[in-house]
Amino acid sequence: MKKTIISLVVALFIVGGAMAQENELSFERKQAIDSLALEKVRDLSKYIKIAGSKTTPWSEANRVIDRAEELFMSDAEIGVSSLSSNQVQYYKVRKYFERLMRLNYDQVEIDWYNIEYVSDLQRQPDGTYVGVITIFQTFRGYDKEGGLVYKDTTKKDITVYVKRKETQIGGRTIGFWDVLLGDMRVKETTNK
Amino acid sequence: MDERALYAMTKQMGQFMRRFNYEEDQFGGRINPKDPNYRSTAKRQQSIPILFDQQSVGKNSDLLRFFIEDVTKDDSSFMTFLGGRWYSEVSTTFKYKGRLIPVQLILTVEKEGLGSKWVLTNIYCSEFNKLFPKGEIAEKEKYFLHPMSHELDFMNIYKVFQNQEVIEYYASKTYEPDYLTIFFYEVKRGNLVFQQVDAVKFHVLQIKDWYFEVSWFNRSGNNVGWLMSNLIYLSEKEKKDLIKFYQP
Repeated sequence: MKKTIISLVVALFIVGGAMAQENELSFERKQAIDSLALEKVRDLSKYIKIAGSKTTPWSEANRVIDRAEELFMSDAEIGVSSLSSNQVQYYKVRKYFERLMRLNYDQVEIDWYNIEYVSDLQRQPDGTYVGVITIFQTFRGYDKEGGLVYKDTTKKDITVYVKRKETQIGGRTIGFWDVLLGDMRVKETTNK
Repeated sequence: MDERALYAMTKQMGQFMRRFNYEEDQFGGRINPKDPNYRSTAKRQQSIPILFDQQSVGKNSDLLRFFIEDVTKDDSSFMTFLGGRWYSEVSTTFKYKGRLIPVQLILTVEKEGLGSKWVLTNIYCSEFNKLFPKGEIAEKEKYFLHPMSHELDFMNIYKVFQNQEVIEYYASKTYEPDYLTIFFYEVKRGNLVFQQVDAVKFHVLQIKDWYFEVSWFNRSGNNVGWLMSNLIYLSEKEKKDLIKFYQP
């Protein structure tokens, strides 16, 4: 909750000022919204790394999963496929994280490439803006002797919903941009 | 892993459009429309070649050179998301009467309400196409109701239903089967059940006098991601027939 309030305040400072709903976003506003969306995605990356780590205590991992769920729309799904199969396995956010925690390795390393690609925002029929942020992750699984037994690089395409909302602060109506993550597509790449 | 490959990768179809138009820099950052580099012709001449699948189109083919020259000579050859005349072909697998069959779904972006959405415009399914074979004209000419049939209370109309395989020969010459309706009907009847998406590609007819496909290339090296895989010089008149398939 505290984090949500901080995000809200940050949102107000970054993109505040525009009180009315806008049809066309200015270049500067798009950049500000990109930053807000990237902040959420970076939080998600951090949570995946913590929950996946074998050194994270179970209670801490569960707390992190709660935080991760708060980043997403309630109906969001994660669709995972591999190079060996086009078949997409669908998971709810909590299930995806729980599966990550249960992976049968003695040690795992999860690293993120410093590449984040943010799409243009398009409006859907109800006026909500939708975008996709692409990030890349490398996963390494080790056995108890420390030998690398599995490695992959995955492309994660994450839906971002951006909606203009209003709130009352001190009797004043303040507009802000609310950012929530939606469905995430996880695809294995040939890059190792 | 070499990060350069990930920078080089055209990671989204939207990035393909931005690179095609030169609306982003080499690191994927948006270029301000007020910036002189935004949609710069010189920059487009450099950025468009990297959008080709070099294994199928080649790096220096005459067609490629002609294309780049053509799309950078004036201001009209930019791709836009809401500009129409670009279609997604989604290859899927369905279960049809107990068997797994491939079905190609064709979708396009349609404006609606305050924004837009992807909508189905057509499907291709060989099971349905088999129902309407393109018969020989001579063969088709054997099947008709003579022009005085009305005077006989259409007593001969039973012939239409005698051979179900050619029933459509009795329809008007302008008749075209509506495969999307058959598809909806079979799904509603529970005969056709969705299984999975196998692949996605795009057919772009938005650029004047050109048609190209954009497909996903997942391989090592820098020529990866969403790339042009098939480029054809096609007059606007010829395009009309092709568009009829995507959006009847």
